[in-house]
Amino acid sequence: MTLTAWMFALPFVVLFVVFMAGPIVASLGMSFTDMTTRDLQTPFQVNIVGLDNYARLFQDPRFVRSLANTFTFVIVAVPLTMGLALVVALALDKGIRRFRTVFRVGYYAPVVTSIVAIAIVWRFILQPDGLLNGFLSLFGIQGPDWLQSTTWALPSLIMMAVWRNIGTLMVIFLAALQGVPREHHEAAMVDGANAWQRFWNITIPAMRPALLFAAVITGIGFLQFFEEPFVMTRGGPLDATLSTAMYTYQQFGFGNYAYASAASYVLFLAIVILSLIQFRFLGRKD
Amino acid sequence: MTRSGARRTSRWAAAGATALIGALVLAGCGRTDGGGGGDDGGGGGEAIDDSPATGTIQVWAMGNEGEVLDELAAQFEEENPDVTIEVTAVPWESAHDRIATAIAGGETPDVTMLGTTWVGEFAATGAFEPTPEGLVDESSFFEGSWDTTVVDGVAYGVPWYVDTRVLYYRTDLAEQAGVEPPATWDEYTAFTQALQSAGAQWGVSLPPGGFDSWQYVTPLAWQQGGDILNEDGTEFTFDTPEWEEAFAFYTSFFEEGIAEPRRLEGGEIEQAFINGEVGAFYSGPFHVGLLLDQGGEEFADQFGVAMVPGADSRTSFTGGGNLAVFEDTDNRDASWKFVRWLSQPETQIAWYDISTDLPSVEAAWDDPTFAEDPYLSVFGEQLQDSKAPPAIPTWAQVSAVIDQELEKATRGETTPADAIATIQQQATSIGTGQ
Repeated sequence: MTLTAWMFALPFVVLFVVFMAGPIVASLGMSFTDMTTRDLQTPFQVNIVGLDNYARLFQDPRFVRSLANTFTFVIVAVPLTMGLALVVALALDKGIRRFRTVFRVGYYAPVVTSIVAIAIVWRFILQPDGLLNGFLSLFGIQGPDWLQSTTWALPSLIMMAVWRNIGTLMVIFLAALQGVPREHHEAAMVDGANAWQRFWNITIPAMRPALLFAAVITGIGFLQFFEEPFVMTRGGPLDATLSTAMYTYQQFGFGNYAYASAASYVLFLAIVILSLIQFRFLGRKD
Repeated sequence: MTRSGARRTSRWAAAGATALIGALVLAGCGRTDGGGGGDDGGGGGEAIDDSPATGTIQVWAMGNEGEVLDELAAQFEEENPDVTIEVTAVPWESAHDRIATAIAGGETPDVTMLGTTWVGEFAATGAFEPTPEGLVDESSFFEGSWDTTVVDGVAYGVPWYVDTRVLYYRTDLAEQAGVEPPATWDEYTAFTQALQSAGAQWGVSLPPGGFDSWQYVTPLAWQQGGDILNEDGTEFTFDTPEWEEAFAFYTSFFEEGIAEPRRLEGGEIEQAFINGEVGAFYSGPFHVGLLLDQGGEEFADQFGVAMVPGADSRTSFTGGGNLAVFEDTDNRDASWKFVRWLSQPETQIAWYDISTDLPSVEAAWDDPTFAEDPYLSVFGEQLQDSKAPPAIPTWAQVSAVIDQELEKATRGETTPADAIATIQQQATSIGTGQ
């Protein structure tokens, strides 16, 4: 690159190095030490403990629990969000043309609404005598106290997060659907393919890049699952909704900086691995 | 595939190596240039004289205090014409991180307000200056409140305002049931049951574990003479009959159906109390105003406050805010003068009018504002018998374990004996951090 090009890039590069790369490398370094609050003023006097923090993490039942919760969440929420978003996108693409704008706004609204406002609404819904249980009682079902039950708290948060994220994916899928060449469908129809065959053999392959993108960003987003447990349950009851990001945050709050850094690198590795798997299965061209 | 795979691997390896070198450089360098830090503390430095304060004092204050401190500071500026006080309001949610970052970056203000339970943690960094000898009279403060400034025998800063828990109860239900506010544990159980039979769905509202619920169970151990640490502050003493009894008593309210096994969040409890669903609950002084606001005028006659019921003593939990001066302040003398001024009885009475924060100096409570108020006088009385947890750096972590085990106990997933054994074991492995 020429000097001029570098000069144009310089402001970004400087900001990136100072505020992103620097802290990222520093926290990796920190994860091999025993730094806590007590070393704040003298960060260079910490002891190097090698991989001790990482070893400790996997013997820490709360961390292991948080990983299990996070993976449960990802495994359930990613396909659910993608599936529902695809259904909504197909519905909006095909039918109900007249109300398309209304629905688009309706499904997208949760994405742009503050999590705190969402939390208040969902508390009303999930209370023991709230909307959801009122609805269930119409069918003679006695609903649980969703957020304070160790069994139902995580599913409740999954429900919320799925609802909240459908909008983002719906927009992506809708754009992809509209990019599928009409001629392909027409040609297939001439060949006698039914709607399902056309969906499976034309629409889905054409949407593969969009599906891959959606899987990767939702996967990463849900692995960093934090806001819902943070505002709704604080990780409780009894760690039933404790996510790895939430646990890391707690450890930072306790002043265990080194330990928390190690936890965040474990999460980072998990994200890398998950993304590689997704590229492997969705990314190839046939 | 193999070729691109290999290339990818080597790129990862390179990235990893770069990061590792960065880490080693970061962690390794400077180990020799150490020093720094304020480990020379202890004495408390030079005494502060009585001349007027000068220069600029930067103050950080949180929450409501941050919003209204300017009003009070104006009076100080009037009395000391050459001083300027710059108040920065810091939201509570980010205050802890912000102070930590300021200490790490060496960009601290002169004075900061501190949550009482943070003192141990931050004092351990050496960022605070010990309170100068003779700045204030230690015995003029409530004992439990002064103790929150002391770490390893050294005081860092001065208590600013206090907060303690008392028992809020429905007077109309108590009257109907013919019971008086309880003084002992036995009376307490009977009292809450009576409120229930008089119409309350739940006799008392207690958090069934979870965030900060240690504040509700710890006083029960204190009331029997139990404590968190042993005499010389080296070992945790959770594994004792007092703690087991405290856990057993606390969980009995859930077993007997007196307390709802559900956590009421802030905002829910007022409504439940006003509409009679909950007969009693524990809270600090701010709830008086909230209940009067939300319940309307006629509700003022329907509730009262009383000292917490107890065993050998009626000890309650105390919290509040302290003021501390940072070690690298540019204006040390003026900062301490401002802190001293804030802890004068007259200033604290004026501060109550502005902020409704309760005075940490006992003498201020002789003022009719507190002595003659039916609610506040109870808080004054309770403060004579209130305790704070020890100022150890690891307290946040240890107390989170109590929260967790208490939740298991109230849900019947563990016994009080097992709960305290777990707390003892985990607390010991966390350590006191000293």
